[in-house]
Amino acid sequence: MRKALAVARWEYVEKVKSKAFLISLLLTPLIMLGMGILPTLLATRPDTTAQIVGIIDPSGEIALPLSEYLDAHYKLPDGNPNYVLRKFSAGTADEVAAAKHRADMLILDDQLEGYLVLGKSYLNDTAFEYHAQNVGNVKLIERMNHAMRDLLVRKKLEARGYDTSIIRDLSSEVDMKTIKLAKSGQEEESAVERVFFTAYGFMMMMFFLIITSGQILVRSMLEEKSNRVVEILISSCTANQLMAGKVIGLSLLGLTQMGLWGVIGIAISLKMAITLISLPSAGLLFLYFIFGYLFFAAVFIAAGAPVSTEQEAQQINSYLVILLILPVMFAFTIMQNPNSTLSHVLTFIPFLTPTMMAIRIPVQMPSELEIAGSLIVLILFAFGAIWMAGKIFRTTILLYGKRPSLRELLVIVRAK
Amino acid sequence: MLTVAHLRKVYSTVVAVDDVSLQAKKGEILGLLGPNGAGKTTTIRTVLNMITPDSGMILFNGKPIDESIQNSIGYLPEERGLYRKNKLLHTIQYFASLKGISAAESKRRAYDWLKRFDLLSYYQQKVEALSKGNQQKVQFIISILHDPEFVILDEPFSGLDPINQILLKDILLELKQKGKTIIFSTHQMDQAEKLCDAICLINKGRVVLEGEIAEIKNRYGKNSVMLEFDGDGKFLSTLPSVHTAQVFENYAELILRDNLKAPQFLREIVGKLEIRKFEMTQPSLNAIFLDVVGGRRTNGEGAS
Repeated sequence: MRKALAVARWEYVEKVKSKAFLISLLLTPLIMLGMGILPTLLATRPDTTAQIVGIIDPSGEIALPLSEYLDAHYKLPDGNPNYVLRKFSAGTADEVAAAKHRADMLILDDQLEGYLVLGKSYLNDTAFEYHAQNVGNVKLIERMNHAMRDLLVRKKLEARGYDTSIIRDLSSEVDMKTIKLAKSGQEEESAVERVFFTAYGFMMMMFFLIITSGQILVRSMLEEKSNRVVEILISSCTANQLMAGKVIGLSLLGLTQMGLWGVIGIAISLKMAITLISLPSAGLLFLYFIFGYLFFAAVFIAAGAPVSTEQEAQQINSYLVILLILPVMFAFTIMQNPNSTLSHVLTFIPFLTPTMMAIRIPVQMPSELEIAGSLIVLILFAFGAIWMAGKIFRTTILLYGKRPSLRELLVIVRAK
Repeated sequence: MLTVAHLRKVYSTVVAVDDVSLQAKKGEILGLLGPNGAGKTTTIRTVLNMITPDSGMILFNGKPIDESIQNSIGYLPEERGLYRKNKLLHTIQYFASLKGISAAESKRRAYDWLKRFDLLSYYQQKVEALSKGNQQKVQFIISILHDPEFVILDEPFSGLDPINQILLKDILLELKQKGKTIIFSTHQMDQAEKLCDAICLINKGRVVLEGEIAEIKNRYGKNSVMLEFDGDGKFLSTLPSVHTAQVFENYAELILRDNLKAPQFLREIVGKLEIRKFEMTQPSLNAIFLDVVGGRRTNGEGAS
């Protein structure tokens, strides 16, 4: 045991100082942030200056109400209107063409964000166009569409003689809140986005954690093999001690990474005054993480020990990445239907269990029975995998040259 | 004392080691000799419990290998390498810790050894800053830092310059003085001849010659000829009276056929060569090696 600890200490202390670890430690949250949260944050970020939108309105009846509508609904943080409508007067088809030409020039000149072209009669023709250089401004396009729909409905109702106050009442906005019902019966208001990002965040964290530490592990075993240090190691301690040390060291490395990310997560949630996840849920997830981590550490050891070239190591890594990317593919279905048969089945497949639970726990707490069952399955498989990895590690760590085939590995595992 | 009895290891179809027995006594240097692929490294790995033998027995001081014995074994693998990105001192301390040496003690010893090998300036540097030869010295330090009772070295001299070879030889003799049991494998017969008390010669997985060097040489008797000459000596290796021959430009070492006396042989070569020196002596280990392994006559292929 002392020797296993000596190995663990070396694996941990030397790797925690390595550049590869530091990079993965810092880069991963950044990548996650970049991939998942940043686009949304940027898209929902308020504009700081008013945007000027042209309008060509042959009927002459929409421009003014639209302007009022936009003023009332969309304001800049400083209280000024977010959108300023600039009217191009045009009645006939020729005038419309001329106005479009002028507006195009202004857009190219950066004086106009874009412009709307409405039909001649809004009562018969509700089609309208939005012209702009940037048609990817989703927020603006969405708002214009929304405003026009509201306005045109109101106008049509007015034209049919309905009372304006009734119209206002009928067309008022709806306001939907999502309330998450916890098992204890407590209700908490929760934004869909937050639950989504929490689940997504936990899943990606698990994914990156396993990928990075798995690669560190395979790489270090390969290094020990190619520089023959493994011979000195195996003459100093048993293969089991060596493997145990590696698993312990790597797990500590993973815990460090998780701990630091956890601190970052807590800091963010405190800053934004939101609860990402309750404490018991976090504890439960931690359990899944630990055993999932052990399971994958064993898989990486079994896959990495027979390898003796960089090329083979990369091949192995890409296979395992595919294995790990699978839950990401299922993530959205699972989030939408956490209680579907598919969810239940996938939860009980050991290499999917931790990620599935990372998705499911923040969305909807699974039943106690399912938690206990999946944990037991995962733990059994984790220890089974470690036992198998031990056999493969013992026999193949000193093997050079041709990588043993799957069949040969099976023979090794079956051997007494 | 290390005893290996009837060791056998088969890799799928190849018999790597077949019925190998050897003994290394306390305070003795045993040379494990043999051509490439003879089974030296497999024997060493099996002794170190890195490979499980198919049959046979390995006893350290009469006991099978266990953790405490692992702590008293020092091993230098044939192919060299170290962790490149780690600091020299930390690397040494790690391997020492695996042998049960405390950090403080290993630091003290590392200091002494690095000083002796003139490597103190690299004390706090990363291993990759060291030249290949220096890394090799570090590896040797690692193999003996824990003051092991059994020292097993696979080709320890290869890659070292003459000065460091002498240093290494001195240290090995010191270890021997201290009563360590030392096994080293080598191709270099002259090294083995100078250092070893006994040898075990393996060929094709089998022990073909073993015993104390002096005794082996006696066994071969004095029917070996050292010849210095002028002229073309090629014909020497084809003489019927010559059993094994190494013929160089102006020098030849020959083992004569049994019971052949010097005058008889001299008569065969006189007149064909200008003899400058003729000596009947014990054969060199190199000649014995060639005789046993090759059983062949060579023309200047010399020691390798």
